[in-house]
Amino acid sequence: MVFGVQRIFNLACGSFYALGAYAGVSAVEWFLRAGGPPGLFVVPLIVAGVAAGALGLVVERGLLRFVYDRDETFQLLLTFALVLMLEDLVRMTWGTAPRSTGGLYLSYGQVRILGATVPVYNLLVIAASVAIALGIGWLLTRTAFGRIIRATADNREMAEALGVDMRTVYAKVFTLGTALGTLGGALVIPATAAMSEMGIELIVEAFAVVVIGGLGSMRGAFVGALIVGVLRALAIAVYQELEMLLIYAIVIAVLVLRPRGLFGGSAA
Amino acid sequence: MQTTRRGFLKGVGAAGAVGILGAPAVVRAQARPGVPSDPVKIGVLAARAGITAPVGAAGLRGTEWWRDRVNASGGILGRRVELLVEEETNPKDTVERYRKLVLQEKVDVVVGGISTGVTLALGPAVEELDTPWLAWDGTTQKGVEETLLRPKWAFRSVDNEVEAIVGAILTAKYFKGIKTVIGLGNDYSYGHDCWQSYQAALKRYMPDVQFVQGLFTKLGTTDFTSHVATIQQSKADLLMCSFWSGDAPIVMKQAAAAGLFKSMKGVFTTAGGVHDALKKEFTPEGLLLGYNSMYFEDPKGSPLLKQFVREYQAKHKEYPAYESDHAYFCVESYKAAVEKAYAQSRQWPSKEQVVKALEGIEVESLSGKRAWREDHIMMCNFYQGITTHKNPYDFATIAPVEVVSTRQAMKPAGAKLFDWIAGWKI
Repeated sequence: MVFGVQRIFNLACGSFYALGAYAGVSAVEWFLRAGGPPGLFVVPLIVAGVAAGALGLVVERGLLRFVYDRDETFQLLLTFALVLMLEDLVRMTWGTAPRSTGGLYLSYGQVRILGATVPVYNLLVIAASVAIALGIGWLLTRTAFGRIIRATADNREMAEALGVDMRTVYAKVFTLGTALGTLGGALVIPATAAMSEMGIELIVEAFAVVVIGGLGSMRGAFVGALIVGVLRALAIAVYQELEMLLIYAIVIAVLVLRPRGLFGGSAA
Repeated sequence: MQTTRRGFLKGVGAAGAVGILGAPAVVRAQARPGVPSDPVKIGVLAARAGITAPVGAAGLRGTEWWRDRVNASGGILGRRVELLVEEETNPKDTVERYRKLVLQEKVDVVVGGISTGVTLALGPAVEELDTPWLAWDGTTQKGVEETLLRPKWAFRSVDNEVEAIVGAILTAKYFKGIKTVIGLGNDYSYGHDCWQSYQAALKRYMPDVQFVQGLFTKLGTTDFTSHVATIQQSKADLLMCSFWSGDAPIVMKQAAAAGLFKSMKGVFTTAGGVHDALKKEFTPEGLLLGYNSMYFEDPKGSPLLKQFVREYQAKHKEYPAYESDHAYFCVESYKAAVEKAYAQSRQWPSKEQVVKALEGIEVESLSGKRAWREDHIMMCNFYQGITTHKNPYDFATIAPVEVVSTRQAMKPAGAKLFDWIAGWKI
């Protein structure tokens, strides 16, 4: 969405994800220390995840707005610099040791579905993801703001000529995109641990997802994620050395045969 | 008068130096004949960033604790100990920092080094610089074989694959009924070498065991759900995992989420390095868990270990892992070697004399008696055991505690690993 509207290829999305994860861990720790009931740990987690999205506003207003008219390579370099800076910021703030929320992950119990054991927390996250996806869909198709976003993505000059204030649209869209990233990072943390390198790890995968699915397409991102996820699992089970090779072979095939991705728009 | 930046910095430096030299020693240094009065300089290479940072911190903390103790009791032969800490990063930069410590800071000895990727490169460089180097955890192995056969100055850590071999010996003891084993490790030499060695050693005890598959992930991976699914699908009786850093608790958590250890045994040869992150909620009882060379709650632990654990916990709010012990042993053995050489010549020993005295020396470390083999390899005990929740902590510990010596589980000087394992009498 950020790319669709702003034409910014934001590598720092991985760092926002990592930042959300760390913010989530800190918020949960603080909540438990303050005597909050462990069963409600998702509340500080979500609040911290969304709140960390405020960084998007700072980055957009402080840096990105100066480079909208520059070359894509310039934007890539800028957001990559941001990746490295945020990684150091994470190290300075939270240290280098992995941080986690301990055993809270399994505190909601586990259920058996189709013979597989699944933690209830995973189901909650899936439900939340569906709700967020529906919410975004509603925002884009049913609200005035959504129409403005789509109009801007379609034809920026025309939208501007019709009186849309680009500065506010850009700031809002980028902050919303960032908040989704940080919230994602926070929600995933109970199942794993926050590490300073996690941002870069995500970017490598997200890049493949986006290229396969098509830049700036929500449906494409969804299908791309599914393809990458299933391929990874398959490769690990059958022949693990192929894990990354297979994914990037498809990336190359898509780039050669269908450069705009499976669901990329006709005029990117 | 205008204060220039340089002049100001000089002033700060001088004030700092006065501060250090003027610090009142708790025990007045004894003037001994033949012993210089300036401090002994010990260079320390400690990893401070990335995945090895917590391990580097444990080593540095162990070294600092030793320094404070030694200085409080009069130093080495009356000389105060001063640490000069440099960071261990990539091989090239770390070799440069090593040179700086020796050539510029003129240290008497260098300790430290964790990653074999770094220390493999450091070994040959050390040999040219005429100063003893005692590695905490790094070896000069390529794969499972030694590259620096008769070093003069380099003293290396225990062979990388020892904990996998100890794990195999104890697998045969505790999990007699197993028929199939699947492996999980980091995708670099340590992970692959441990898996190879574990298979070779276990085959000697249980010739009929089948090894289904070895899975490898890169360091720093945080999502193992596909791997856990593959492990579960394999229906193997036992999972052998050699993770040693932050990924160990993550895979443990994701395995628990899938209910993996309800149907499967588990051997975590090295996860004791991050033992206090193995929370009870997701670390089941009944796994074999390795703590490398020191177990903080060893029931037979010495008063020294108990004091160290107590003070470490009070200061850092954590329970120490094995790297503190490797590090303590390095500096303590250096002190013992200096004193041993001095007892013979009544002179502060040269670096050559220290090396001579180090060969074969045995000292009391945190984990008990440890020694340097004649070919400059560490000898110590390895601690592994079966996980239990019967303790006052929020993480799993082990009981019973099994202690296996490197005399049993490490190839002798000059031996080829797999030939040596094949020649075991069982």
